[in-house]
Amino acid sequence: MVKLEFEHRQAGHCESGVTRNLLNYHHHKISEPMAFGIGAGLFFSYLPFLKMQHAPTTSFRVWPGQVFDRATKELGVKTSIHTFRNPKESMDKLNAVLEQGYPVGLQVGTYHLPFFPPEYRMHYNMHNMIAYGHDNGNYFISDTLMENLVEINYEDLKRVRFAKGAFAPQGRMYYPTYVPKDIDIRPAIIKGIRKTANNMVGIPFPIIGVKGIRYLAGRMRNWEKKLGPEKASYYLGQVLRMEEEVGTAGAGFRYIYGAFLEEASGVLNQPWLREISFEMGENANKWREFSYLGSRNCKKRGKPDQSYDFLADILLEVADREEKIFKKLATIK
Amino acid sequence: MEENSNPVYKDKAYGQHRELSYSYQDGGKFERTVGFHDNTDRIVLQQAWDLFDERIEDARQRVAAGKVSPVVYYMEKNLLDPLNLSMMAGISLWRVKWHFKPAVFDRLKDKTLQKYAKAFNIPVDQLKNKNITKVHEGGTKDNEGKQSIS
Repeated sequence: MVKLEFEHRQAGHCESGVTRNLLNYHHHKISEPMAFGIGAGLFFSYLPFLKMQHAPTTSFRVWPGQVFDRATKELGVKTSIHTFRNPKESMDKLNAVLEQGYPVGLQVGTYHLPFFPPEYRMHYNMHNMIAYGHDNGNYFISDTLMENLVEINYEDLKRVRFAKGAFAPQGRMYYPTYVPKDIDIRPAIIKGIRKTANNMVGIPFPIIGVKGIRYLAGRMRNWEKKLGPEKASYYLGQVLRMEEEVGTAGAGFRYIYGAFLEEASGVLNQPWLREISFEMGENANKWREFSYLGSRNCKKRGKPDQSYDFLADILLEVADREEKIFKKLATIK
Repeated sequence: MEENSNPVYKDKAYGQHRELSYSYQDGGKFERTVGFHDNTDRIVLQQAWDLFDERIEDARQRVAAGKVSPVVYYMEKNLLDPLNLSMMAGISLWRVKWHFKPAVFDRLKDKTLQKYAKAFNIPVDQLKNKNITKVHEGGTKDNEGKQSIS
């Protein structure tokens, strides 16, 4: 039986929350937005060829796993990451690591997670949570989506760690093994901001970053003609679900990134970043307005200010704002 | 029977969950708040569950009419698509789609049926049954009574 002294904190985004909680256990205090920003989590891509729940995928963040990997690397934290073929082996390894006194981050599929809110039950294999102890086949879990600590039994845990399907977790587990004292987070912040700026405005590919937002706007205008009203409305709903629901802390991570910029301006002592964080906040409010009007459309109220053209115009405005913001951020020193 | 049409969404546990979100107030203040879903969230989530409802019911009727095999019904009920199903059952995508034909399905070996039954978490006999009642038995009911929020 092991039960580590673990401080659970709810978070808006599972992976940066896990990163924050794990580092916090090792006495390095950073906030969740900070972990997200250093990990360069913000992103945009629209993938019309990759269908999820019968509609194209819109992604507001980088590939799963990257936030933890980048954040720990930039902070000089040594980590250990494993994937497995054999479920039994992976559970033994988990027990061994817990007994050494490290809480462990786990990548799991959400469909069979017993404590998960029923409205989120879908085949989503990129959820993250922390195991911080076990007792007689019962595992103590800190899931940043949940308000409280939870428990899960051996069989269920094995099942979710080896969920099959797209992006199968294969029992992926990760934990920091060595956290240096007195980390200077300033260079890490600057690198994180540069990386995000490059992702958003620096990649010359039409479905990624700011260009991706414009591409989505262009596609959206044709949805109704091409797909018929029902399917078009469902496609729009899919964008909104990705923006507001899938652990994004609201408005597709734009709020959390604004909070990061505000904090960064204090740490780096660069007041202009604060101005930009306000712009980011207003930009996030614009995204929120988009999802509000879009959801009216999904309810089929059919007012002119909720037409696809109108919504696409909002997206274009958002794209312009973000281009301005990230071009400025790219010049950070 | 209507209340059984989607156990996931109409479950009593729905909406009991509070999550953390960030927001921005004019004047430059970012806030963390913990709260229930707002209306926007409810509408778009409901939309997805409605679609799944529709697809499940549609699949049930097509199976009963002998147009497709029960594999299609259980695929929809487990919220899967053919690609994910092929990964879960360990059967190639092409073969999975081939097995959607009722005539092909009837000739399937036990070994293949086992694979599907395992992926859907039901006994083989249930998989073979083509007159599916509208009551849902798999899905969320698996997890009932297992909730362990401490």
